[in-house]
Amino acid sequence: MMTWHDVAPEGDFEPDVPKVVQVGDDRIAVFRLDDGFYAISDICTHEYALLSDGFCEEGKIECPLHQACFDIRSGKALDEPAEIDLHTYPTRVEGGVVQFQL
Amino acid sequence: MRTVIIGAGQAGRRTAELLRGLDAEREILLLGEEAEPPYDRPPLSKEILLGEEHPRGLMQRDIHAYETQRIALLLGERVEGIDVGTARVAKADGERIAFDSLVIATGARARGLPIAGANDPRVLTLRSMADARALSARLRPGLRLAVGGAGLIGLEVAAAAIQLGCAVTVLEMGDRAMARCVPETISSRIETWHRAAGVVLKFGCRLTAIEPRREALRLYTSGGEIEADLLLVAIGAVPNDELAREAGIAVEDGILTDASGRTSHPQVFAAGEVARIRRPSGRHVRFETWQVAQHQPVAVAHALCGTERPYAELPWHWTDQFGHNVQILGAHSSGLDWLLRAEGERLSCLGLDADGRVQGAVLIDNGREATPLRRIIAAGKPLGRQRLLDPSVPLRQLC
Repeated sequence: MMTWHDVAPEGDFEPDVPKVVQVGDDRIAVFRLDDGFYAISDICTHEYALLSDGFCEEGKIECPLHQACFDIRSGKALDEPAEIDLHTYPTRVEGGVVQFQL
Repeated sequence: MRTVIIGAGQAGRRTAELLRGLDAEREILLLGEEAEPPYDRPPLSKEILLGEEHPRGLMQRDIHAYETQRIALLLGERVEGIDVGTARVAKADGERIAFDSLVIATGARARGLPIAGANDPRVLTLRSMADARALSARLRPGLRLAVGGAGLIGLEVAAAAIQLGCAVTVLEMGDRAMARCVPETISSRIETWHRAAGVVLKFGCRLTAIEPRREALRLYTSGGEIEADLLLVAIGAVPNDELAREAGIAVEDGILTDASGRTSHPQVFAAGEVARIRRPSGRHVRFETWQVAQHQPVAVAHALCGTERPYAELPWHWTDQFGHNVQILGAHSSGLDWLLRAEGERLSCLGLDADGRVQGAVLIDNGREATPLRRIIAAGKPLGRQRLLDPSVPLRQLC
């Protein structure tokens, strides 16, 4: 069953600095971009690495290990060595708290 | 129009796929000597040794992926010669294949040890998937593994082997770990990881002879004798440039190319590690990295289609050992002044020239700073030491 999970109050988010939530085996990174909040899987699809440790700019996140690059809004893998897109999750702001659905 | 690519490694695959993306029509033949479809090599000295069969980092596609892209992938095919006069390559089975353009992507091979006893079957090198599987099959708890060379491959193998319970001794002629690519302060950290895990590191230690005995190898070194069950020789790589040289193409420890991969012959290009590439400085440099095999083929594929996308990337490579990720940006030179910038466990080591410009960097568990540093290095502006070392000033603000 899909559930909404709290991340943090809206005001706690800084641009380009994700917040990470662990739900069971899933690790989700939530970003504030110009046009809202976006949630992606935090694990690079190339080799195991935490994307939340990577460099984030202009709606893109770069894997800290091997520079695979993903679009945060769509989860799309933008260039090799990543070829598999990231999972994305719906987000909403409920009572001032950012949530994602999983 | 037919392009033949000799060598179905990472650079060959990239050239073929990028070329197909630019030109839907041309015939593309990718000839590989190994039986394996193309793969990236970084996992061979890490995940494969630790027993993973198909780590994702291999980027190894099913052969059907090549059919779909209309790339004719011919495996187990050895090319014996190139005749540039008639524009044909000769395969070992005698067949001759005509080309309109040719890409040599034959990579490099492990350098052998020119000493007595080195031909014993217990003396191995690591370069191919077959090498990695052969090594992996022999690593078991209690095995006494000697590694010749404390470079990146030697240390990655040492790290994997000690995790598998082997007794590991690394023999290195020089005085520190990875001396060719990192400054002393980084070497000493890497050495600390190894020693803490139980790896014995012997520096200033030259291997002079191997005496194969029935039960073990006896290794004679400048620092005494040791016994080992297996010796992995990891003392660098040699470019596979013989086909080019025999064809009369200009070669100088690697095939000389311009920044677009053109060789001295107008129909022939070189891709990846076998190429010695002309840099903006005018010097020719050969790189032994994943990066060059991944990105220099972009230049080659464009040049094959008549457009220019010269390769001039800042050199970058990495190693993963004991759960730490080390990234090396730019040229390592002892002429630089190396400064440490620490943010908790994350470390940036910045190499400044006499004018205060960052020329190179080494990052430990700090890959997020690679892109800002790449920009700082490319900008070539002198930056104050105070600001560079102030952890409250993010590096991305300095680029």
